[in-house]
Amino acid sequence: MSLADYDAVGVTLKASTYGVVWFLVLLNLVPLLFIFSVSFMPPTEFFGAPHIIPYEPTLEAWTSGFAELKDNLINSFLIGSGTALLALAITIPGAYAFARKEFYGKKLGFYAIILAMMFPYILLVIPIMGLWNDLGLYNTIPGMILAYQVFVAPFAIWILRDFFETLPKDIEEAAQVYGCTQFSAFVRVILPLAAPGIVAVGFLAFLTGWNDFLFANLLTTGTGPVPAVPVLYGTIGGGSGERVYWGKLMAETLIIGTPPTVLYLVARNYLESAFTV
Amino acid sequence: MSSQTSHALIRKTERYRDVLSENWFAYLLILPVLLFLVLLMWIPFVQGIFMSLHNWPFGGDPSWVGLGNYEYLFGWQPFVTSLKATLIFSLTTLFQLGVALAAALAVREIRRGKSLVTGSFLLSYTLPPLVTGTIWAYMLEPDLGPIFGYLTQWELLEETIYWGSHGDSALAVILFVTTWTFWPFMFLIISASLESIPEEMYETARMYGANRVQTFLRVTLPQLKSAILIALSIRIIWNMTKISQVLQLTNGGPGYETSILAVLLYRFSYEQGQMGISYAVGVVLLTMTIGFVFVFIREFERASGGDAA
Repeated sequence: MSLADYDAVGVTLKASTYGVVWFLVLLNLVPLLFIFSVSFMPPTEFFGAPHIIPYEPTLEAWTSGFAELKDNLINSFLIGSGTALLALAITIPGAYAFARKEFYGKKLGFYAIILAMMFPYILLVIPIMGLWNDLGLYNTIPGMILAYQVFVAPFAIWILRDFFETLPKDIEEAAQVYGCTQFSAFVRVILPLAAPGIVAVGFLAFLTGWNDFLFANLLTTGTGPVPAVPVLYGTIGGGSGERVYWGKLMAETLIIGTPPTVLYLVARNYLESAFTV
Repeated sequence: MSSQTSHALIRKTERYRDVLSENWFAYLLILPVLLFLVLLMWIPFVQGIFMSLHNWPFGGDPSWVGLGNYEYLFGWQPFVTSLKATLIFSLTTLFQLGVALAAALAVREIRRGKSLVTGSFLLSYTLPPLVTGTIWAYMLEPDLGPIFGYLTQWELLEETIYWGSHGDSALAVILFVTTWTFWPFMFLIISASLESIPEEMYETARMYGANRVQTFLRVTLPQLKSAILIALSIRIIWNMTKISQVLQLTNGGPGYETSILAVLLYRFSYEQGQMGISYAVGVVLLTMTIGFVFVFIREFERASGGDAA
């Protein structure tokens, strides 16, 4: 292989690298740019030739979108935060035990929890619907928060265990030498050190509660605490698009989509280590 | 004989008691999460299988039908359509892998703006799937949407395509949107694993005169094996149960042409309140995903076994 040949390969590789990167970045950004512009168009502008910059920009879509979604956004927020808090309460102790304690059945227990991630959750929603109906949890916010723990707990255990494992082994022992009990060593020393991981897991759990459609739609009815996501489905739901005010719908997608995206991008740095397999 | 067994039994209980008294704190710590998973997963799952053997209207009184629901499904033409759609739909996992692999390899090469690039890659994944489904429902709307609008304006297409009224084109749109939405998950796992390959391995490969293709096949790919395996198995299952985008784009139609099994399950429970049949569909779906994952792991081991050694 001559030197010239080699460079040609190198140049092609470099070009295709940047080609792939640009293509994928644009594939994500262009649709978002479009819906952003559409959300400022008045209803009359959707017919006729497509254009990016609205002729007569208006805020009507945003104000009416916000007005329509206000209650649902509050529900979504309550459900997301509740899911995050409950998930942390039940998974922090468990993850700590799996990271630091030696006990009989540890490996088996850990895999039983992790494998729960592979379970097709859609199979659970139907029995849970019936069960919640009997228990009076159907169509309530606590019912939703409880149900989301199935999605969140395995992931949270996985990430938090890895996080606890990276902390130096002898700090609890040192704390105990200075008079801490097992429990107070955990609360005063380990928890503050693990704060970044805990925050990241909390964000992820919040996202689950906020983004989900399946449970949100099946475990609530129109009269109950419907979160924001199912409202979007109610508006078109695969039906014909002629009668839809697309500008408002697109403003609503942005209103619903912004909080989880911002949270995820903030939490991303903490999560990178967790994804190393 | 009997004294021996009782003796063994006593020894055994003593051992359990020892284990418990030594580790009670650890067991106490994992108790909440185990309790939740049993209550929320295993009990509903077992109850669901029980439901699938009944005629079970939502909120009404169930009656035992044995395997009747399953018999009904397998003799019902739309169910076969749904199975076919599910098989085609499962290709999305492979597309996602292809895009994610290309993206991860490309991102590793770029020097500046890496964080910005990965950040924008993740946008499609962080938005709620129903939201991205809604966005594409607009972008691809045949009469008003910008994509067909521009294609006809620039005369690349003579007239717009009503993709929603044909099974094949509707499935193609769903495949595209699902792939667009979920590939970043595999990208995250693969690129994390790519970053962790030690640089020395590449230096050694260069020293022995390996070219780029050889380096990729002999160093990079084997190191990524377990990451790809994990990402693929998780995604196969998760993709099979995604319903929100299909519902938003086609509502499972025309007819049942895009009703993948998960959507069929949803239609039975939500539109018709037939919980028994709905769960029977779920059991078929579960069997299928487990089958997929097993076949896939076996093939993967076989295909990469030679190279890795």
